Amino acid sequence: MTTSSERLRGSLVSVAGLIVGAGIWELVGRHTQQSSFAPFSKTISALWGMTKSGQLPRALESSLELFGAGLGIAIVLGFFIGLLLARMRTLRIGLEPYILMLYATPMFALIPFILSLFGFEFRAKVIVVALFGIWPILINTLEGARSVNLDLLEVARSYRSTEPKLWRHVIIPYTLPYTMTGVRQGIARSLIGVIASEYLLAATGLGNLILTYTNQFDAAHVLAAVLVITLVATLLMMLGRAIENYFARWKAGV
Amino acid sequence: MTSSGARIHIDGVGKQFGALRVFENIELEIGEREIVSVVGPSGCGKTTLLRCIDGLVETTEGEIRIDGTKVVGPPRGVAVVFQHFGLFPWKTVYENVAYGLRLAKASKAQIAESVQRHIELVGLTGFEKAYPYQLSGGMQQRTGLARALATDPHVLLMDEPFAAIDAQTREILQFELLRIWESRPMSMVFVTHSIEEAVLMGDRVVVLRGRPSSIHEVIETGLPRPRTRDVFSTPRFNEVREQVWSLLMHEAEQAERELQEVR
Amino acid sequence: MSAVPQTVALPRTFALGPRAQRTLIRIATGVILLFLWEVLVRWLAPPFVARPVTIARALPHVLAGHVPLATPPFWGSVEATVIAVFEGLAIGTVAGVLVGLTMGRLRLADRLLRFYLNAFFAMPILAMVPLMTLWLGFSGSVRLAIVSLGAFLPICLNVYDGTRSLPANYVEVAQSYHARWWNVWFGIALPASLPYVLAGFRLAVGRVLVGATVAEYIVSLKGLGYLIVYDGRTFHQPVMMVAVLVLALLGVAINVAADVATRRLLPWYRRSE
Repeated sequence: MTTSSERLRGSLVSVAGLIVGAGIWELVGRHTQQSSFAPFSKTISALWGMTKSGQLPRALESSLELFGAGLGIAIVLGFFIGLLLARMRTLRIGLEPYILMLYATPMFALIPFILSLFGFEFRAKVIVVALFGIWPILINTLEGARSVNLDLLEVARSYRSTEPKLWRHVIIPYTLPYTMTGVRQGIARSLIGVIASEYLLAATGLGNLILTYTNQFDAAHVLAAVLVITLVATLLMMLGRAIENYFARWKAGV
Repeated sequence: MTSSGARIHIDGVGKQFGALRVFENIELEIGEREIVSVVGPSGCGKTTLLRCIDGLVETTEGEIRIDGTKVVGPPRGVAVVFQHFGLFPWKTVYENVAYGLRLAKASKAQIAESVQRHIELVGLTGFEKAYPYQLSGGMQQRTGLARALATDPHVLLMDEPFAAIDAQTREILQFELLRIWESRPMSMVFVTHSIEEAVLMGDRVVVLRGRPSSIHEVIETGLPRPRTRDVFSTPRFNEVREQVWSLLMHEAEQAERELQEVR
Repeated sequence: MSAVPQTVALPRTFALGPRAQRTLIRIATGVILLFLWEVLVRWLAPPFVARPVTIARALPHVLAGHVPLATPPFWGSVEATVIAVFEGLAIGTVAGVLVGLTMGRLRLADRLLRFYLNAFFAMPILAMVPLMTLWLGFSGSVRLAIVSLGAFLPICLNVYDGTRSLPANYVEVAQSYHARWWNVWFGIALPASLPYVLAGFRLAVGRVLVGATVAEYIVSLKGLGYLIVYDGRTFHQPVMMVAVLVLALLGVAINVAADVATRRLLPWYRRSE
């Protein structure tokens, strides 16, 4: 029950907080060595420099390309395998514990294994990113497809629905909100996968920027790269939430 | 009795779930233009019987024929209206009403015409784009009714359709349903636990009783059509109602007594 | 097989109960998967790539502490990582609960901190690791900082959520009994948000494991992350996979323990999936 003036005040406080944060950043930066930290102003100028030189846009493009490809595969495979497992009971029972175990394992640990099978380059990194992102999508889709309301299945039967139509009109629309929740989590995980594969496999993109400038003890540029990653990540998370909400809009009270 | 024009034949039908015998020896015929109410205490299997008629549940004994053909699965021309409404939450009112037609591969023109007509018929004009969660119970059931009617069925099976709806809306919907039926009479089986509703709706009232339940009596209501609210005050209505009530009360009292003995 | 559930009568020839049946199916599936892994790798991959047979052969040696010459020690690495994980979880949980409670109860703290916390939560913490080496050098502090941060963020945000959604009735009751602020915070807000803590904990475990392993790799710290990458690069894959297995089991074990704790400590809370 916040009034609009309260909300305005609240937003101002948040903005003030941001300005104060930037101010602290600036102050601390001025009193530390440039090999370990940089003030806000220097970080911004480093950011600008990288943008102008094209280094940042190239790195961004490379990382986003990897992200898109890997997440895309994760979504498609996760969705279809999730649906498949919902339909085939024995297969699901058999695979369930292994899927849950993989969900709980840091996929980072599998990167050297993937490396030995698929090499260093783009193909291997896409596989890594897909592996990071697929588990929540698969598991959420599976849970959703399994939990379809029995009443609604009966309604479909009473209208003599064929199997394909059952999937199209009932099961898939019901499952999509669950899948999108998984996709939201998958976005976060795939992003980690992008950075991890850029660290461990062929260094490209934003991960490479961080590593390179760290090796040069250039804190300003490292901070700039981290800032960019944070911005991209925040935007992607907002996108993920928006998608999730859009697909759940027929649920009561959304 | 309309056995010559009977559409639904229920022949010696019984149903058993494992060791539990729900009902047995159900013999009933339902005519082409007739509403038969089925009433009985909770657990008497009236809902299960309805599902047997539609082939959603298999009978353990006996056979059900609709238009001469044995029922093995939901037959063409039979539509069900469910107590829980059964609307798909992700479909709009329009899409829900169109569902049966889409499944039957009707043409776009047919769908557009029929859906619009039936939405108007149930009084939901203007709500085509609404989602179920935005609708009241009464409106949801109207949608369910429109969906069933859109497929132009010659048998309508009503599974306690107004049980989950508040009393005032229920009465409105009862008379709306009667009005709609008058304009296109068909075979209707109306399952309910409300004695008044059963007498109001039906040409005949089937009373299920016993454990396992069976048809104890079939009472001709003998009330004139079209039914209006005046019917509630006619002596015949009260007579039939009392008759059904005493048949069922006896059973309820017996059950209560059995419970006491157990204690 | 239709997606419409039908009651299937189990054939009487199966003397096993449904629980035993499931276990059997799972074991059988596991065996099939291992078989496929073995065959495919033997056929198609270079000889040093790990497969079930080579892993099984290496397993007893590794568990006995015998690792190939000049590779990191096994149990020492396990110990180092496990300790770091638990330290991170402990610090992150305590800090996360405190900050989350504060943000939930004090509007000012909420407004000031929310943006930063959401930004840090969205950011992959991996991105911070090299930066931390600039601040803290190539030492164990980097790993500690990363795992603490990794645990702190999800727990803080979840506790914040839980505290914010505290029904006002609870606080009203407390105030009618003249509760002081610490009674409300720790006696009501905290228990009420415990379910959220548990949910955040699961997320935290995942982040902590990733953070620890990446930090170990970048800083070359003794630990499972370093061992895995090192052994991977020196073609000692079977040993590497044993370490991967240990990591997997660690993750599963902590999650199971958290589930058990939920059921014990919070019998009144029904996990809504």
